[in-house]
Formats: sequence, C-alpha cells, structure tokens
Amino acid sequence: MALLPFLMAILGLAPRSARRLPWIAAVLLLVQIPLVVWICLPAFLGSIISYGPFSIDGMGAAFTIITTLVAAAAMFQAALLLPAERAEGHAITDKRFCLFYTLSGLFILAMYAVPLARHIGYLWIAVEATTLMSAPLINYHHGKDSLEATWKYLLLCSVGIAFALFGTVLILAAQHSFTNGETMRLDDLIARAREMDPRLLRLGFIFCLLGYGTKAGIFPLHNWLPDAHSESPSPVSAMLSGALLNCALVAIWRLSQVVIAAGQGNLVRQLLVPAGAITVIAASLMLVRQHDLKRMLAYSSVEHVGLLTIAIGIGSGQLFILHAFNHSIVKVALFLMAGGIMHVYGTKDLSKLGSVLKKSPVWGLVLAAAGFAIAGSPPFGTFISEWLLLRNAFDSGAITATIIMVIGLTVTFIAIATHIGRLVFGNERNPARTLPVSSWAYAPALLLGVSLLAGLAVSPPVMRALTILANLGVK
Amino acid sequence: MNLSQIDLLAAVIAVLAVWMCGVTRVKTQVWGLVLQTTVLSGISVMLSLAGARIELIILAFVVFMIKAVAIPFFLYRAAKRISIVQDKGVSIGPTLSLMIGCGLLFIGYFLTPAFAVSSMMNQVSAGMSLALIFIGMLLMITRRLALSQVIGFLTMENGIFLYSLTQTHHMPILVEMGIVFEVLIGVLIAGVFIFRINRSFEHIDVTDMRRLRH
Repeated sequence: MALLPFLMAILGLAPRSARRLPWIAAVLLLVQIPLVVWICLPAFLGSIISYGPFSIDGMGAAFTIITTLVAAAAMFQAALLLPAERAEGHAITDKRFCLFYTLSGLFILAMYAVPLARHIGYLWIAVEATTLMSAPLINYHHGKDSLEATWKYLLLCSVGIAFALFGTVLILAAQHSFTNGETMRLDDLIARAREMDPRLLRLGFIFCLLGYGTKAGIFPLHNWLPDAHSESPSPVSAMLSGALLNCALVAIWRLSQVVIAAGQGNLVRQLLVPAGAITVIAASLMLVRQHDLKRMLAYSSVEHVGLLTIAIGIGSGQLFILHAFNHSIVKVALFLMAGGIMHVYGTKDLSKLGSVLKKSPVWGLVLAAAGFAIAGSPPFGTFISEWLLLRNAFDSGAITATIIMVIGLTVTFIAIATHIGRLVFGNERNPARTLPVSSWAYAPALLLGVSLLAGLAVSPPVMRALTILANLGVK
Repeated sequence: MNLSQIDLLAAVIAVLAVWMCGVTRVKTQVWGLVLQTTVLSGISVMLSLAGARIELIILAFVVFMIKAVAIPFFLYRAAKRISIVQDKGVSIGPTLSLMIGCGLLFIGYFLTPAFAVSSMMNQVSAGMSLALIFIGMLLMITRRLALSQVIGFLTMENGIFLYSLTQTHHMPILVEMGIVFEVLIGVLIAGVFIFRINRSFEHIDVTDMRRLRH
C-alpha cells in the first residue's frame, strides 16, 4: 500500500523528470485507489490484518480509502493546475516543483500511518510527521503570505502536538499499577482500561484533545487553519482539508475509545459535544463575512470539523465515517475548483469574482452543485449524514447542542449560498485572464457524482454495515 | 514531600528555564538549553543506574547528542548567520517575564499532587516538568524572534521528556527515539523557514508578520 506514494516521493528527487512527473504521479495515485480498496477489503468482511503496531481495522480501512481518494483527486488536478501555473510565469524552479512531489508522497504516507496505527506512540509520531511534511507544501509559492501562514501552522501545530505528547505520556503514567509494565498498544489499553488511574487518564485525554484538537481545528484552536488552507496551492489545500483534518479526528476517536472503555464515557461526551457545537456556530458566523474564496472554504471545513467532533462525542463511529467521507469528497471538489478559478481570474477575492456560469457553463454548474452539497442540501451525501447526525444527537439527549447545530447549519447554508451564488451568477470586477477550460471541472464533477451516489445509497443496510465497520477492532 | 536527588536535579532544570525567561541574548538562551538538556541526560543516566535499565543510557546519549549538541549548534550557527543578538519580549520586558516564570514554577509545584504518580519515588519532578511545559509556552508566546520561539518549544519538549522519565516505568525505546528524531527534523525544518523569513522579510521578528488578517 505504501509502495506507490513512496515511488512518487523517490521520482520527485530527480529534477530532470519535472515535465513528466505530474502525470506519472496522477496515474500512480489513480492506480492506488483500486489497490487500497483491495487491501482494505478484509476489514469490510470483518477481519483485521496486523503488521506490528499498524493494523487495518474498520476505522483504519475507511480513512485510508478516504485519504487515497482525496490524494488521487488532488494529484490529478495538480497535474493540470501546477504546470499551467508555471507556464504563466510563476517563478518556480524545477527543483522546487519536484520537491513538491517528494513531500506530497511522504505526506500521503504519513496520513496513511495515522488511521492505521493501533499504538498511541506511533499514532503521535505519525501525526507529527504529517505536520512536518505538509509545512513545506504550504509554502510552495514562497510568497510572504504563504510564509507567514506556514510559520503559524508549524508553530501552533507543534505546540498542539507537544500537548498531545504530554497527554500520551500521562496515559502511560496512568498505568502505574500494572505489574507487567506499561503498554501503548490500543488493544491492551482498551482491554485493561478499567485498571488505569482514572485521574491521570482523564488528564491525559484532555491534553490529547487539546493537542489533536489544534491539528483538527476545533474552535478556538482553529487559528492556523484558514491561513494555511487559503495560502497553500489548491491541491495541497484539498489534501489538508479533505484528509489531514480527518487524521487528527481519528486520533481523537482512538483515544476516546480508551476513555470510554475505562467507564469514563461521560467525560468524552461532556468535552466533545459542547466543543463541537461551539465550533459549528463560531465557524458559521465567521463564514458570513468572508471575502476570500479559499478562506471561506477553510471556515466551512472548521464547521464540518465541529460536526465530526459531535459525532465522536456521541460515540457514533458510523456517522463519523459517513460524514467525514461526504465532507472530504465535496470539499476537495470545491478546493480544486477554487484552484481553477484563481488561475483564470488571478485573484481569490470574492468581491472581484463572478459570472463563472457565463464564461463556462460546466464550471458554473459544478460550482453551484458543489456549493449546495457543502451547505448540506439534498440529494447529496452531506445532507443525509448531517440529518442523521442531528437526529442521533437529539436522540442521545444532546438537545442544546442539536439546537445550536441547526442554527449553525442554517447560517452556513445562507452564507455559502450567497457567496457561491454571487460567484456563479454575479458580475465580475476583474476580467478573466484566460478562458476556463471545461476539462478542469471533470474531476470535481466526478467527485460530486460520488457524493450524489453516497447520498442515494444511504439506507438501513448500508448504515448497519458501517456500524459493523466502525466497531471492528473495538472490543 | 521529600526531595530526592533526582527531584533536586529536576528543580535545577526548572530554575534554569526560569532564568532563561530573563535572558534576552539569544546565544545565552541557547546555552541555557544546552545546560537543561545536559542535566536531563544526567537524570536519565542516574535512573538507569538505579533501576538497572541499560536502554536509558543509550537514550540519554542520543538525547544528549541531538538536543544538547546538534540542535544548539544549529541554532547557534543560525543566530550567527542572520546576525541577531538580542530578543526583547513582545509586550513584556525581561524582568516581568522572569517574574511570571517564577510564578509558573510555583504553579507547577503546587499542581504536583494532581499530576504525580503516587507509587513513584520522584514526585516533585512531575510538578517541575509541568513548570517546564508552562515556561516553554511562556517563552513561545512572549518572544518576538522566530529563533527564540524554537527555544521555547524545546523547553516544552524537555518538560515532557522529564515527565516520561520520572513518572513512567518505561516508554518503549523505539517510540522515545522516534520522538527525539521528530524533534530534530522539526527544528531543522523550522530553521529552514527562519532563514526564509529572514530573506523575504529582512528580519525574523514574527510580530511584524500580520498580513493575514481578515
């Protein structure tokens, strides 16, 4: 599974291949999709394959597949976008261009390691590796803004990740009564959770939540997220938003399993449900007055992180997987479209953009559909998963959180509909530099098609299968 | 609470960190970091001799080589190459910073019962590592230069390392090594960015990086 991204990373070390590399990388990752699905198939059939501290369990399989889809779409669009951008005269040397592919390959590998690690030490190392590999990717353009965003990202996430390390060590210290030594393996932790010192375990979980929560962008720790997502090149934004945020949330999910096994499920609920609700409402309010296309998308990611946090908080693994999948594919489609729009208009200022529909009907339709999808309207998958989430949260007694979520989702819908509506139908201030190429919208359109299918496919048997998948590997 | 030798050394590290709060010369700060890590490696060796755990000596050696030799050497060179000497705090001066550092040390000490493992020998060390984490954060928040922020981060890491040494029986050595190398790579990447910030902004004063406000 690790082979193809690794091959891509190696190929990036040879700067002479700069012209062919984008398409080689795209093809490699497209081949990767069926390969990963095939490798993860046993998990869907109910068996776990282990390789040392890593194993493909239900969560691992689901998020590995999501990561692969996101990475493949991002690399495919990068093959269209980045060479076109270089032809426009952005001063990017062959060496830096190839380094982009090396780092992307390593970044994808690190993102595979996070959901597959069933060992809280390796989990931490993998999350930290994603930070280190993605920081140079954000700074691809070497502009002042991207440099500032990168430094903020590196610094805030390093502090966050240090907290997560402290939390991990505290969980280790909570096992002081174990006679045969401490363990970091998730299976042992879950099996012996009740013997742990509850005080240190709680502290450990709180520190881990602070740490991985920073990485996931839970309010008020989301500060780095809009900057990093808006300043990086669009394929990287897509990977950050569609795959990296999921990774951090999976880490929180893993640790919450230990705490729940220790009989402290209340703590998980009391921390995550309010945190998620506040994140949703805060992000929706910040969405209203955005005047930057990619920042708007980034805040929408914060909002969806809030929803996912609530899903973890109410202990619903199946909704976590379902909504993460739906959000990832739609958000990736939007970020990739945003990359195209920035290329065509030369700006991402919402007040200067417009009349996409007139320029290219394909782009206009895809954008409008993606806007509806991300705002959570039927018949897209996001609608179903948000609706199920609201119902489950209400049923589990989190009534205040549900009400806040409904308000947040309504505000979000209005804000996104207004912004995207103006983009698609309004008049532009800045004339377009080039004409949009319809083929650039094909990959996002395909992703939206998947989202549509996901929306139509959700039915009781599918949800049952997802529940079994989410609980695979949790005793 | 009785102070063991290890607790005493842990307190020395925390006091060193407090002292660093009042230092504005970047090179002196780097030396503070070297001293901290050296004492920390000493604790690791002592624990290994007391508990007959040979792997801790190897760990102590690796930590010493990376965090007390390689990283400070790199930071020192970086400070020299971009010719910076002093880092005056953002909004609070060195004196106030020193006093807040003292306060954090006390807070860490009083939080000892909440964080210490009851069956362990060196209880005060838990409080001291907490103080180190807090002081590291203080350094990161109040310093202007990107370089000093890295030093603050390393102080935080030292605190976590101290906690894992004194409050847990054993952390898997492979994980511990992974963490140390991760820190090394992190500092190297941060170093590359420091040079880059220096080149495009002609300074590494992060308070002047405020273009991204919307």
